[in-house]
Amino acid sequence: MTKRIFKNTILIIFAVIVLCGVFIIGVLYKYFNKELMDEMHQEIRFIAKGVELQGMDYLEAFDGMDTRITWVASDGEVVYDNQVDITTMDNHSDRKEIKDALISSSGKSTRYSSTLSEKRVYQAQRLSDGSVIRISYVQKTIFMLIFGMIQPILILIILALGLAGFLAYRLSKQIIEPLEQIDLDNPDESVVYEEMAPFVRKIINQNSQIAQTMDILKAQQDEFKLITENMQEGFIVVDRDSKILSHNTSALRIFNAEQNVENKKVLMINRTHEFQEMVNQALSGVHIERIIPIGERIYNIYINPVFADSGENKSVAGAVIIATDVTEREQREELRREFSANVSHELKTPLTSISGIAEIIKSGIVEAKDVPEFAEKIYDEAKRLITLVEDIIKLSQLDESGLNMAKEDVNLYGLCGEVVKQLTPVAELNNVSIELEGSTAFIYGVKPVIREMIFNLCDNGIKYNKDGGSVLVSVEDTAEETLLSVKDTGIGIPIDQQDRIFERFYRVDKSHSKEIGGTGLGLSIVKHGALIHGARIKVESVPNQGTSVTIAFKN
Amino acid sequence: MRKGFEKQLEELNVSLIQMGALCEEHIAKTTEALFAGDENFVEASHVMEETIDKCERDIENICMGIFLKQQPVASDLRQVSAALRMISDMERIGDQCADISDMIRYTSSHNMREYESLKAMSENSKEMVNNAVESYVRRDIKLAGKVMSQDDVVDRLFDDIKRKLIGYIADDPNQGEFWIDVIMIAKYFERIADHATNIAEWVEYSIIGERK
Repeated sequence: MTKRIFKNTILIIFAVIVLCGVFIIGVLYKYFNKELMDEMHQEIRFIAKGVELQGMDYLEAFDGMDTRITWVASDGEVVYDNQVDITTMDNHSDRKEIKDALISSSGKSTRYSSTLSEKRVYQAQRLSDGSVIRISYVQKTIFMLIFGMIQPILILIILALGLAGFLAYRLSKQIIEPLEQIDLDNPDESVVYEEMAPFVRKIINQNSQIAQTMDILKAQQDEFKLITENMQEGFIVVDRDSKILSHNTSALRIFNAEQNVENKKVLMINRTHEFQEMVNQALSGVHIERIIPIGERIYNIYINPVFADSGENKSVAGAVIIATDVTEREQREELRREFSANVSHELKTPLTSISGIAEIIKSGIVEAKDVPEFAEKIYDEAKRLITLVEDIIKLSQLDESGLNMAKEDVNLYGLCGEVVKQLTPVAELNNVSIELEGSTAFIYGVKPVIREMIFNLCDNGIKYNKDGGSVLVSVEDTAEETLLSVKDTGIGIPIDQQDRIFERFYRVDKSHSKEIGGTGLGLSIVKHGALIHGARIKVESVPNQGTSVTIAFKN
Repeated sequence: MRKGFEKQLEELNVSLIQMGALCEEHIAKTTEALFAGDENFVEASHVMEETIDKCERDIENICMGIFLKQQPVASDLRQVSAALRMISDMERIGDQCADISDMIRYTSSHNMREYESLKAMSENSKEMVNNAVESYVRRDIKLAGKVMSQDDVVDRLFDDIKRKLIGYIADDPNQGEFWIDVIMIAKYFERIADHATNIAEWVEYSIIGERK
């Protein structure tokens, strides 16, 4: 700014100097020229008078004077010159001033020297004898005049430069200082000069508008963040180069990623081929959804492409990745599938037997004496079917309304006694002894369910026992818990299958399940019973040595 | 010019992670197939090995391109030269996985699940490969250090298997061939662990610029 003002000031000063100079010199030069002419005219009239009166004598007095005086005869021959030797001078009859004087008694002319450095002004006057007297002055030309003024002009220019610099500095400072003083974040109209006020006003208005818009945007962003942050689902937005633009904390947890993944490739959080392929497909514009395991858990990953423009030329601008934890769902689904398969199988087996036997009887190939035997088989299978359905009903009751069943104080020891008594004949049949130890202990629970649990545990203890083995039922009341444990000396359960025995229809030894009987639901019922009583189950088992199942009811 | 360089380095980084991910997948699937006795995997394993080889060549080309056109210095130079070394280790991991897969043909008739030490070896080597690649992705020197120290565990397990097998062969010389296959598989896992250690060392080098 200062520079521009300086340049302009200099330009103006120069223009003024030049114009003034030209004008003044022009006017003055003309004026002095006229003065000179008038003076010379007077002078030549005096000299002419003198020469007419005294002749050559008069002229001789001018020898060596500044003013050059020449006397030319009427034929053009130079008769006298006070500065130049007349013998060297040629005929002057062709000079303009002489010619004019010979014709019209007086003449004048101006001639420039060859270098234009000076000019000669001549005036001539015809005398009465026809000769011509001429005077001439040497005058500096206008160029020499200007040339002679160079020094003062230079000084003037230097002064002008200084002045212009100073002015420019001051002016620009005056203009700029208030501008610099404006605090653009909080402009104040009063600080600046009038002309700037509208701009400042505009800035103030726009500032407040921007602040408002920013507030709205920030509020929206906060809201967005709040929503995504509290999402259980992992949420990631990537751009078209698969760089992460935004994500929530859940996403970091799900993909087991470190902090600061923003602006890094999505490859950094999961580099499996499958996931990369999904991202690439989504970025080519296809919605994709797949279930993939990450670590221990299973996630349903949706990736949706985001398009930049709608309509004809739409291009993918990025993609949104959403990961939902479906581990439980998948596991439940798996269990459900297994359960329905098992139920159908378990129901079908006795029915097939019944139907087969009935078919044989129907065809009449069975002799009358054998019918009771077949009837017994049908009866057995039907009973098995009934037990199975009963078990399933019990389980579904526990599933449906287990928590709402009426609870009461139950004498656990007494209940165990009843069950042991009930099972003693069965135990004797299997050549297994069953005993009860401990003391009276009360728990708060659902009596039929607890009875069912004890029955199932003892029944298992007897069924999966060895010839001559024993089952020991004990009830122990500790300070915190009431422990019910059923310990047998049976075939035991291999370590890797101990987690699975509570699953519905799970059988450790699948090949002998039919001989032993049972539905495969007993321990499932125990587990559910424990669940509604908030009790803990502990299984200790050594293959071929025996199993001990302990249920700990909280006091 | 500089922007092109940044882009090339990024490309190198991405390709390296992808190659690492392939190795991880290869060893995971190989272990699974080995213990399940899945002979069908042999062919798939060779396809994966070829993919890994192709990755190696591609990354070599990227590195050469960077060397020729950009003349990297300091940490960039370290990164590129470490990448060149890492890919040869990764390629060897791929080869060894394919070699293990080849053995499935001879071992599938036996129940491989029984051999706890071999299982432990495979799990350890797999974890080491995972952690080595992860340490590169996260530039995590600590994790790289963990990989290096885990190598001793694998070495010990290998010695353990070797000692046990001598006894097994003595007990039942008819099964000798199978036990030799087992020792070879163990050796492959031990080599894979060594390569994972190398990768971890290169990761450390590319970050701190020193090799121990």
